[in-house]
Amino acid sequence: MKLLYSLFSRRAFLNSLIGGWLAALGAAFISPLLKYIVPPTREPDQVSVPLAEVQDLAAGSVQGFAWGNKPGLLKKAEDGSFIAFVGVCTHLDCNVSFVAEKRRFYCACHEGWYDENGINVAGPPPAPLRRLAVSVEGDALIVKKQG
Amino acid sequence: MNVLRAWIEERLGLRAVAAFLEKKEVPRHKHTIFYYTGSSILFFLGIQIVTGVLLAFYYQPTLAEANASVARIVTEMPLGWLLRSVHSWSATFMIAIVFVHLLGIAFTKAYRKPREATWITGVLLLAASLAFGFTGYLLPWDELSLAATKVGTNLPKAIPVVGAWLTGVMRAGEDVTGDTLSRFFIFHVSVLPLAVIALLGVHLFLVQRHGMSVPLEEERKGAKGPVIPFWPNFAYREAGVWLILLGLLVTIAVFAAPGLGPQADLMAPAPEGIKPEWYFLFLFQTLKLFPARILGLNGEIVAVLIMMAGMGLFAFLPFIDNRPAERKGKVIAGLVWAGLAYAMGMSIWSLL
Repeated sequence: MKLLYSLFSRRAFLNSLIGGWLAALGAAFISPLLKYIVPPTREPDQVSVPLAEVQDLAAGSVQGFAWGNKPGLLKKAEDGSFIAFVGVCTHLDCNVSFVAEKRRFYCACHEGWYDENGINVAGPPPAPLRRLAVSVEGDALIVKKQG
Repeated sequence: MNVLRAWIEERLGLRAVAAFLEKKEVPRHKHTIFYYTGSSILFFLGIQIVTGVLLAFYYQPTLAEANASVARIVTEMPLGWLLRSVHSWSATFMIAIVFVHLLGIAFTKAYRKPREATWITGVLLLAASLAFGFTGYLLPWDELSLAATKVGTNLPKAIPVVGAWLTGVMRAGEDVTGDTLSRFFIFHVSVLPLAVIALLGVHLFLVQRHGMSVPLEEERKGAKGPVIPFWPNFAYREAGVWLILLGLLVTIAVFAAPGLGPQADLMAPAPEGIKPEWYFLFLFQTLKLFPARILGLNGEIVAVLIMMAGMGLFAFLPFIDNRPAERKGKVIAGLVWAGLAYAMGMSIWSLL
Protein backbone atom coordinates (compact mmCIF):
# COMPACT_ATOMS: atom_id res chain seq x y z
CA MET A 1 0.00 0.00 0.00
CA LYS A 2 1.30 3.38 -0.87
CA LEU A 3 0.97 6.08 1.79
CA LEU A 4 -0.33 9.36 0.50
CA TYR A 5 1.81 11.34 2.86
CA SER A 6 4.67 10.64 5.23
CA LEU A 7 3.89 9.73 8.85
CA PHE A 8 7.08 11.44 9.84
CA SER A 9 7.38 15.08 8.84
CA ARG A 10 10.63 16.49 7.55
CA ARG A 11 10.75 18.85 10.53
CA ALA A 12 10.28 16.04 13.08
CA PHE A 13 13.03 14.04 11.35
CA LEU A 14 15.49 16.95 11.42
CA ASN A 15 14.62 17.73 15.05
CA SER A 16 15.40 14.24 16.23
CA LEU A 17 18.51 14.12 14.07
CA ILE A 18 19.95 17.28 15.56
CA GLY A 19 18.80 16.22 19.04
CA GLY A 20 20.62 12.92 18.64
CA TRP A 21 23.76 14.65 17.42
CA LEU A 22 23.77 17.06 20.32
CA ALA A 23 23.27 14.24 22.81
CA ALA A 24 26.15 12.26 21.30
CA LEU A 25 28.39 15.34 21.27
CA GLY A 26 27.50 16.07 24.91
CA ALA A 27 28.27 12.50 25.94
CA ALA A 28 31.62 12.67 24.13
CA PHE A 29 32.58 15.76 26.10
CA ILE A 30 31.24 14.60 29.45
CA SER A 31 33.27 11.43 29.81
CA PRO A 32 36.74 13.07 29.73
CA LEU A 33 35.45 15.80 32.05
CA LEU A 34 34.25 13.20 34.54
CA LYS A 35 37.68 11.60 34.41
CA TYR A 36 39.34 14.90 35.19
CA ILE A 37 37.21 15.52 38.28
CA VAL A 38 38.76 12.82 40.45
CA PRO A 39 42.56 13.00 40.62
CA PRO A 40 44.59 9.81 41.01
CA THR A 41 45.39 9.02 44.63
CA ARG A 42 48.87 8.03 45.53
CA GLU A 43 48.97 5.89 48.61
CA PRO A 44 52.64 5.33 49.39
CA ASP A 45 54.00 1.85 48.66
CA GLN A 46 56.25 2.17 51.65
CA VAL A 47 57.40 4.68 54.20
CA SER A 48 60.67 4.60 56.07
CA VAL A 49 60.98 5.75 59.66
CA PRO A 50 64.51 6.19 61.06
CA LEU A 51 65.06 3.63 63.83
CA ALA A 52 66.65 6.34 65.99
CA GLU A 53 63.29 8.11 66.21
CA VAL A 54 61.48 5.16 67.72
CA GLN A 55 64.16 3.26 69.60
CA ASP A 56 63.50 4.98 72.90
CA LEU A 57 59.78 4.36 72.71
CA ALA A 58 58.53 2.58 75.85
CA ALA A 59 56.89 -0.80 75.33
CA GLY A 60 53.14 -0.42 74.87
CA SER A 61 53.32 3.19 73.73
CA VAL A 62 52.52 4.68 70.34
CA GLN A 63 54.14 7.17 68.01
CA GLY A 64 52.74 8.78 64.90
CA PHE A 65 54.27 8.95 61.43
CA ALA A 66 53.04 10.19 58.07
CA TRP A 67 51.47 7.50 55.89
CA GLY A 68 51.07 9.64 52.78
CA ASN A 69 48.24 12.06 53.53
CA LYS A 70 47.08 10.05 56.50
CA PRO A 71 48.40 9.61 59.99
CA GLY A 72 50.13 6.29 60.65
CA LEU A 73 50.51 4.90 64.16
CA LEU A 74 53.51 2.87 65.24
CA LYS A 75 53.14 0.82 68.40
CA LYS A 76 55.94 -0.89 70.26
CA ALA A 77 54.83 -4.29 71.55
CA GLU A 78 55.97 -5.79 74.86
CA ASP A 79 58.61 -7.91 73.10
CA GLY A 80 60.15 -4.82 71.48
CA SER A 81 58.76 -5.46 67.99
CA PHE A 82 56.68 -2.87 66.15
CA ILE A 83 53.22 -2.99 64.71
CA ALA A 84 51.76 -0.25 62.53
CA PHE A 85 48.25 0.93 61.73
CA VAL A 86 46.67 3.53 59.49
CA GLY A 87 45.36 5.86 62.19
CA VAL A 88 42.03 6.42 60.53
CA CYS A 89 38.74 5.24 62.00
CA THR A 90 37.01 2.57 59.91
CA HIS A 91 33.63 4.10 60.69
CA LEU A 92 33.70 7.53 59.03
CA ASP A 93 37.37 8.33 58.43
CA CYS A 94 38.24 10.51 61.44
CA ASN A 95 41.79 10.33 62.76
CA VAL A 96 42.09 8.23 65.92
CA SER A 97 44.31 8.78 68.93
CA PHE A 98 45.94 6.35 71.38
CA VAL A 99 44.71 6.66 74.93
CA ALA A 100 47.70 5.36 76.85
CA GLU A 101 46.04 4.87 80.26
CA LYS A 102 43.29 2.70 78.73
CA ARG A 103 45.64 1.08 76.21
CA ARG A 104 43.06 1.66 73.54
CA PHE A 105 42.66 3.67 70.35
CA TYR A 106 39.88 6.20 70.43
CA CYS A 107 37.92 8.08 67.76
CA ALA A 108 36.37 11.25 69.11
CA CYS A 109 33.96 11.79 66.23
CA HIS A 110 31.42 9.12 67.19
CA GLU A 111 33.09 7.60 70.27
CA GLY A 112 34.58 4.51 68.63
CA TRP A 113 37.09 2.35 70.53
CA TYR A 114 39.73 -0.12 69.36
CA ASP A 115 41.89 -2.27 71.63
CA GLU A 116 45.68 -1.99 71.57
CA ASN A 117 45.83 -4.42 68.67
CA GLY A 118 43.51 -2.24 66.61
CA ILE A 119 40.48 -4.51 67.02
CA ASN A 120 37.21 -2.57 67.13
CA VAL A 121 35.70 -3.17 70.58
CA ALA A 122 33.09 -0.49 71.20
CA GLY A 123 31.03 2.15 69.43
CA PRO A 124 30.18 2.31 65.75
CA PRO A 125 33.42 1.15 64.01
CA PRO A 126 32.58 -1.81 61.76
CA ALA A 127 36.13 -3.16 61.29
CA PRO A 128 39.58 -3.20 62.92
CA LEU A 129 42.09 -0.44 62.17
CA ARG A 130 43.96 -1.16 58.95
CA ARG A 131 47.29 -2.89 59.69
CA LEU A 132 50.52 -2.12 57.89
CA ALA A 133 53.52 -4.44 57.63
CA VAL A 134 56.68 -3.40 59.51
CA SER A 135 60.20 -4.64 58.92
CA VAL A 136 63.64 -3.47 60.02
CA GLU A 137 66.13 -2.72 57.27
CA GLY A 138 69.46 -1.30 58.38
CA ASP A 139 68.84 1.75 60.55
CA ALA A 140 65.25 2.27 59.44
CA LEU A 141 61.83 0.80 59.97
CA ILE A 142 60.13 0.11 56.67
CA VAL A 143 56.35 0.32 56.76
CA LYS A 144 54.55 -1.24 53.82
CA LYS A 145 51.06 -2.05 52.68
CA GLN A 146 50.08 -5.41 54.06
CA GLY A 147 49.64 -8.41 51.79
CA MET B 1 11.74 61.96 33.05
CA ASN B 2 8.70 60.78 31.13
CA VAL B 3 10.69 60.84 27.94
CA LEU B 4 13.31 58.59 29.52
CA ARG B 5 10.61 56.26 30.85
CA ALA B 6 9.00 56.04 27.42
CA TRP B 7 12.39 55.37 25.83
CA ILE B 8 13.07 52.47 28.21
CA GLU B 9 9.54 51.12 27.85
CA GLU B 10 9.84 51.09 24.08
CA ARG B 11 12.96 48.97 24.32
CA LEU B 12 12.29 46.65 27.26
CA GLY B 13 8.49 46.46 27.34
CA LEU B 14 8.40 46.14 31.13
CA ARG B 15 4.80 47.41 31.26
CA ALA B 16 3.57 43.80 31.18
CA VAL B 17 5.56 42.92 34.30
CA ALA B 18 4.37 46.02 36.15
CA ALA B 19 0.78 45.28 35.15
CA PHE B 20 1.15 41.74 36.48
CA LEU B 21 2.48 42.96 39.83
CA GLU B 22 -0.31 45.55 40.10
CA LYS B 23 -2.92 42.86 39.65
CA LYS B 24 -1.20 40.26 41.85
CA GLU B 25 -3.14 39.35 44.98
CA VAL B 26 -2.13 37.54 48.15
CA PRO B 27 -4.87 35.42 49.75
CA ARG B 28 -5.67 36.29 53.34
CA HIS B 29 -6.35 33.50 55.85
CA LYS B 30 -4.90 32.17 59.09
CA HIS B 31 -1.81 30.75 57.36
CA THR B 32 -0.96 33.94 55.46
CA ILE B 33 2.16 34.32 57.61
CA PHE B 34 3.85 31.55 55.60
CA TYR B 35 3.72 33.76 52.51
CA TYR B 36 6.34 35.98 54.12
CA THR B 37 8.92 33.18 54.38
CA GLY B 38 9.80 33.09 50.68
CA SER B 39 10.83 36.72 50.42
CA SER B 40 12.68 36.51 53.75
CA ILE B 41 14.79 33.71 52.29
CA LEU B 42 15.56 35.91 49.29
CA PHE B 43 16.49 38.71 51.65
CA PHE B 44 19.03 36.54 53.49
CA LEU B 45 20.30 35.17 50.19
CA GLY B 46 21.01 38.76 49.13
CA ILE B 47 22.93 39.36 52.37
CA GLN B 48 24.88 36.14 51.79
CA ILE B 49 25.88 37.23 48.30
CA VAL B 50 27.05 40.68 49.39
CA THR B 51 28.93 39.55 52.52
CA GLY B 52 30.27 36.47 50.69
CA VAL B 53 31.77 38.56 47.89
CA LEU B 54 33.37 40.86 50.46
CA LEU B 55 34.84 37.95 52.44
CA ALA B 56 36.23 36.44 49.23
CA PHE B 57 38.25 39.63 48.66
CA TYR B 58 40.66 38.51 51.39
CA TYR B 59 40.02 34.81 51.91
CA GLN B 60 42.63 32.42 50.48
CA PRO B 61 41.51 28.83 49.85
CA THR B 62 44.82 27.05 50.40
CA LEU B 63 46.14 24.65 53.01
CA ALA B 64 48.71 27.12 54.28
CA GLU B 65 46.66 30.31 54.15
CA ALA B 66 43.00 29.49 54.73
CA ASN B 67 42.94 29.59 58.53
CA ALA B 68 45.34 32.53 58.71
CA SER B 69 43.41 34.53 56.12
CA VAL B 70 40.17 34.12 58.10
CA ALA B 71 42.04 35.24 61.21
CA ARG B 72 43.29 38.24 59.25
CA ILE B 73 39.79 39.12 58.05
CA VAL B 74 38.40 39.15 61.58
CA THR B 75 41.35 40.82 63.30
CA GLU B 76 42.82 43.27 60.77
CA MET B 77 40.21 44.17 58.18
CA PRO B 78 37.96 47.08 59.15
CA LEU B 79 34.65 45.53 60.31
CA GLY B 80 35.83 42.17 58.99
CA TRP B 81 34.69 40.46 62.19
CA LEU B 82 31.17 41.81 61.64
CA LEU B 83 31.06 40.72 57.99
CA ARG B 84 32.10 37.20 58.87
CA SER B 85 29.65 37.07 61.75
CA VAL B 86 26.79 38.37 59.61
CA HIS B 87 27.65 35.86 56.86
CA SER B 88 27.66 33.01 59.36
CA TRP B 89 24.48 34.07 61.18
CA SER B 90 22.66 34.98 58.01
CA ALA B 91 23.32 31.41 56.80
CA THR B 92 21.72 30.10 59.97
CA PHE B 93 18.74 32.47 59.63
CA MET B 94 18.32 31.60 55.99
CA ILE B 95 18.33 27.86 56.54
CA ALA B 96 15.99 28.21 59.53
CA ILE B 97 13.50 30.12 57.39
CA VAL B 98 13.97 27.64 54.54
CA PHE B 99 12.79 24.97 56.98
CA VAL B 100 9.81 27.09 58.08
CA HIS B 101 8.96 27.73 54.41
CA LEU B 102 9.17 24.02 53.72
CA LEU B 103 7.10 22.98 56.73
CA GLY B 104 4.46 25.60 55.93
CA ILE B 105 4.18 24.15 52.44
CA ALA B 106 4.19 20.56 53.70
CA PHE B 107 1.46 21.12 56.29
CA THR B 108 -0.81 23.24 54.11
CA LYS B 109 -0.13 20.77 51.28
CA ALA B 110 0.69 23.61 48.94
CA TYR B 111 2.58 21.12 46.75
CA ARG B 112 -0.58 19.55 45.37
CA LYS B 113 -1.41 19.65 41.69
CA PRO B 114 -0.41 21.68 39.67
CA ARG B 115 2.53 22.76 41.88
CA GLU B 116 4.60 19.54 41.87
CA ALA B 117 7.41 21.11 39.84
CA THR B 118 7.56 24.07 42.23
CA TRP B 119 8.02 21.60 45.11
CA ILE B 120 10.77 19.70 43.32
CA THR B 121 12.73 22.85 42.46
CA GLY B 122 12.23 23.82 46.11
CA VAL B 123 13.69 20.53 47.33
CA LEU B 124 16.67 21.06 45.01
CA LEU B 125 17.10 24.58 46.41
CA LEU B 126 17.01 23.11 49.93
CA ALA B 127 19.73 20.65 48.91
CA ALA B 128 21.76 23.53 47.47
CA SER B 129 21.32 25.56 50.68
CA LEU B 130 22.54 22.64 52.79
CA ALA B 131 25.45 22.16 50.38
CA PHE B 132 26.31 25.84 50.82
CA GLY B 133 26.35 25.30 54.58
CA PHE B 134 28.41 22.14 54.34
CA THR B 135 31.04 23.56 51.99
CA GLY B 136 31.21 26.86 53.86
CA TYR B 137 31.81 25.08 57.16
CA LEU B 138 35.18 23.75 55.93
CA LEU B 139 36.53 27.05 54.63
CA PRO B 140 37.92 28.43 57.96
CA TRP B 141 40.01 25.21 57.95
CA ASP B 142 40.08 24.62 61.70
CA GLU B 143 40.15 21.32 63.60
CA LEU B 144 36.40 20.96 63.95
CA SER B 145 35.60 21.80 60.37
CA LEU B 146 38.17 19.29 59.10
CA ALA B 147 36.76 16.43 61.19
CA ALA B 148 33.17 17.31 60.23
CA THR B 149 34.13 17.35 56.56
CA LYS B 150 35.87 13.99 56.79
CA VAL B 151 32.72 12.45 58.24
CA GLY B 152 30.36 14.21 55.84
CA THR B 153 32.31 13.30 52.72
CA ASN B 154 32.75 9.71 53.86
CA LEU B 155 29.00 9.10 54.08
CA PRO B 156 28.32 8.84 50.32
CA LYS B 157 30.80 5.93 50.19
CA ALA B 158 28.05 3.73 51.54
CA ILE B 159 25.86 4.37 48.48
CA PRO B 160 26.00 1.35 46.17
CA VAL B 161 27.79 1.61 42.79
CA VAL B 162 28.51 5.37 42.60
CA GLY B 163 29.35 5.97 46.29
CA ALA B 164 33.14 5.73 46.16
CA TRP B 165 33.25 7.90 43.04
CA LEU B 166 31.05 10.54 44.70
CA THR B 167 33.34 10.68 47.71
CA GLY B 168 36.29 11.05 45.32
CA VAL B 169 34.53 13.96 43.57
CA MET B 170 33.79 15.71 46.86
CA ARG B 171 37.27 15.19 48.32
CA ALA B 172 39.31 15.52 45.15
CA GLY B 173 40.76 12.06 45.71
CA GLU B 174 40.54 9.46 48.40
CA ASP B 175 41.41 11.70 51.33
CA VAL B 176 40.54 15.15 52.57
CA THR B 177 43.52 17.35 51.57
CA GLY B 178 44.29 20.86 50.38
CA ASP B 179 42.63 19.95 47.08
CA THR B 180 39.41 19.35 49.00
CA LEU B 181 39.62 22.85 50.38
CA SER B 182 40.03 24.47 46.93
CA ARG B 183 37.21 22.32 45.64
CA PHE B 184 34.85 23.25 48.46
CA PHE B 185 35.69 26.90 47.89
CA ILE B 186 34.90 26.75 44.19
CA PHE B 187 31.67 24.88 44.90
CA HIS B 188 30.75 27.45 47.53
CA VAL B 189 31.44 30.53 45.43
CA SER B 190 30.81 29.37 41.89
CA VAL B 191 29.08 26.05 41.24
CA LEU B 192 26.37 26.35 43.89
CA PRO B 193 25.58 30.03 43.20
CA LEU B 194 25.08 29.26 39.49
CA ALA B 195 22.86 26.30 40.35
CA VAL B 196 20.85 28.37 42.82
CA ILE B 197 20.31 31.20 40.33
CA ALA B 198 19.01 28.76 37.73
CA LEU B 199 16.77 26.86 40.16
CA LEU B 200 15.52 30.01 41.80
CA GLY B 201 14.57 31.46 38.41
CA VAL B 202 12.41 28.43 37.64
CA HIS B 203 11.00 28.32 41.20
CA LEU B 204 9.96 31.99 41.20
CA PHE B 205 8.58 31.79 37.69
CA LEU B 206 6.41 28.83 38.69
CA VAL B 207 5.19 30.58 41.83
CA GLN B 208 4.04 33.56 39.72
CA ARG B 209 2.54 31.34 37.05
CA HIS B 210 0.39 29.35 39.49
CA GLY B 211 -0.27 32.19 41.94
CA MET B 212 -0.20 31.73 45.71
CA SER B 213 -1.52 28.38 46.86
CA VAL B 214 -4.45 28.42 49.27
CA PRO B 215 -4.67 25.76 52.03
CA LEU B 216 -7.14 22.92 51.42
CA GLU B 217 -9.53 23.97 54.18
CA GLU B 218 -9.80 27.49 52.74
CA GLU B 219 -10.24 26.14 49.24
CA ARG B 220 -13.12 23.94 50.43
CA LYS B 221 -15.03 26.93 51.74
CA GLY B 222 -15.64 27.66 48.07
CA ALA B 223 -16.00 31.28 46.94
CA LYS B 224 -12.80 33.30 46.73
CA GLY B 225 -11.73 34.46 50.20
CA PRO B 226 -10.40 37.87 51.18
CA VAL B 227 -7.15 39.02 49.53
CA ILE B 228 -4.46 41.65 50.06
CA PRO B 229 -3.15 43.47 46.96
CA PHE B 230 0.50 42.51 46.49
CA TRP B 231 1.46 46.04 45.53
CA PRO B 232 1.81 48.05 47.66
CA ASN B 233 0.07 46.51 50.70
CA PHE B 234 1.79 43.14 50.92
CA ALA B 235 5.15 44.42 49.67
CA TYR B 236 5.20 47.03 52.46
CA ARG B 237 4.47 44.39 55.08
CA GLU B 238 7.28 42.25 53.69
CA ALA B 239 9.62 45.22 53.89
CA GLY B 240 8.67 45.55 57.57
CA VAL B 241 9.46 41.88 58.17
CA TRP B 242 12.83 42.34 56.45
CA LEU B 243 13.69 45.27 58.67
CA ILE B 244 12.89 43.31 61.82
CA LEU B 245 14.93 40.34 60.58
CA LEU B 246 17.86 42.60 59.68
CA GLY B 247 17.79 44.11 63.15
CA LEU B 248 17.76 40.67 64.77
CA LEU B 249 20.54 39.44 62.47
CA VAL B 250 22.91 42.32 63.10
CA THR B 251 22.25 42.30 66.86
CA ILE B 252 23.02 38.62 67.16
CA ALA B 253 26.01 38.93 64.83
CA VAL B 254 27.49 41.68 66.98
CA PHE B 255 27.05 39.87 70.27
CA ALA B 256 27.78 36.30 69.18
CA ALA B 257 30.51 36.33 66.56
CA PRO B 258 31.67 32.83 65.58
CA GLY B 259 35.08 31.71 66.87
CA LEU B 260 37.98 30.34 64.89
CA GLY B 261 39.67 27.13 66.04
CA PRO B 262 43.34 26.24 65.63
CA GLN B 263 44.45 25.50 62.07
CA ALA B 264 43.47 22.01 60.91
CA ASP B 265 46.24 19.39 60.89
CA LEU B 266 45.67 16.46 58.54
CA MET B 267 47.73 14.20 60.82
CA ALA B 268 46.22 15.14 64.19
CA PRO B 269 43.59 13.00 65.92
CA ALA B 270 40.01 14.25 65.66
CA PRO B 271 39.28 16.76 68.44
CA GLU B 272 36.73 16.06 71.15
CA GLY B 273 33.20 17.29 70.72
CA ILE B 274 33.05 17.53 66.95
CA LYS B 275 29.70 18.79 65.86
CA PRO B 276 28.29 19.69 62.49
CA GLU B 277 26.11 22.75 61.87
CA TRP B 278 22.81 22.59 63.75
CA TYR B 279 20.81 21.53 60.70
CA PHE B 280 22.84 18.34 60.38
CA LEU B 281 22.69 17.44 64.08
CA PHE B 282 19.86 14.93 63.74
CA LEU B 283 21.80 13.02 61.08
CA PHE B 284 24.93 13.19 63.26
CA GLN B 285 23.07 11.77 66.27
CA THR B 286 21.46 9.04 64.15
CA LEU B 287 24.90 7.95 62.90
CA LYS B 288 26.26 7.90 66.43
CA LEU B 289 23.47 5.61 67.61
CA PHE B 290 23.55 3.18 64.70
CA PRO B 291 25.30 -0.06 65.71
CA ALA B 292 28.25 -1.34 63.65
CA ARG B 293 26.28 -4.28 62.31
CA ILE B 294 22.57 -4.75 61.69
CA LEU B 295 21.27 -8.18 60.60
CA GLY B 296 24.75 -8.97 59.30
CA LEU B 297 24.95 -5.75 57.28
CA ASN B 298 27.27 -2.81 57.79
CA GLY B 299 25.38 -0.40 60.07
CA GLU B 300 26.65 2.70 58.30
CA ILE B 301 25.41 1.45 54.92
CA VAL B 302 21.99 0.70 56.44
CA ALA B 303 21.85 4.18 57.99
CA VAL B 304 22.83 5.93 54.75
CA LEU B 305 20.38 3.89 52.69
CA ILE B 306 17.54 4.69 55.11
CA MET B 307 18.43 8.39 54.95
CA MET B 308 18.51 8.32 51.16
CA ALA B 309 15.17 6.55 50.97
CA GLY B 310 13.72 9.20 53.30
CA MET B 311 15.08 12.02 51.16
CA GLY B 312 13.77 10.36 47.98
CA LEU B 313 10.27 9.96 49.43
CA PHE B 314 10.40 13.56 50.58
CA ALA B 315 11.42 14.89 47.16
CA PHE B 316 8.49 13.09 45.52
CA LEU B 317 5.96 13.92 48.23
CA PRO B 318 3.48 15.60 45.82
CA PHE B 319 3.26 12.37 43.81
CA ILE B 320 2.92 10.16 46.88
CA ASP B 321 0.36 12.44 48.53
CA ASN B 322 -1.84 12.54 45.44
CA ARG B 323 -5.14 12.47 47.35
CA PRO B 324 -4.38 15.08 50.01
CA ALA B 325 -7.97 15.59 51.20
CA GLU B 326 -8.60 11.91 51.88
CA ARG B 327 -7.47 9.51 54.56
CA LYS B 328 -4.17 8.78 52.84
CA GLY B 329 -3.41 12.49 52.93
CA LYS B 330 -4.02 12.61 56.69
CA VAL B 331 -1.74 9.65 57.30
CA ILE B 332 0.99 11.35 55.28
CA ALA B 333 0.51 14.59 57.26
CA GLY B 334 0.95 12.50 60.43
CA LEU B 335 4.18 11.00 59.04
CA VAL B 336 5.53 14.47 58.23
CA TRP B 337 4.82 15.52 61.85
CA ALA B 338 6.55 12.35 63.07
CA GLY B 339 9.58 13.12 60.88
CA LEU B 340 9.73 16.63 62.28
CA ALA B 341 9.47 15.34 65.86
CA TYR B 342 12.25 12.84 65.14
CA ALA B 343 14.57 15.50 63.69
CA MET B 344 13.95 17.87 66.59
CA GLY B 345 14.25 15.16 69.24
CA MET B 346 17.53 13.86 67.80
CA SER B 347 18.95 17.38 67.49
CA ILE B 348 18.17 18.18 71.12
CA TRP B 349 19.57 14.82 72.25
CA SER B 350 22.85 15.48 70.45
CA LEU B 351 23.23 18.73 72.40
CA LEU B 352 22.74 17.11 75.83
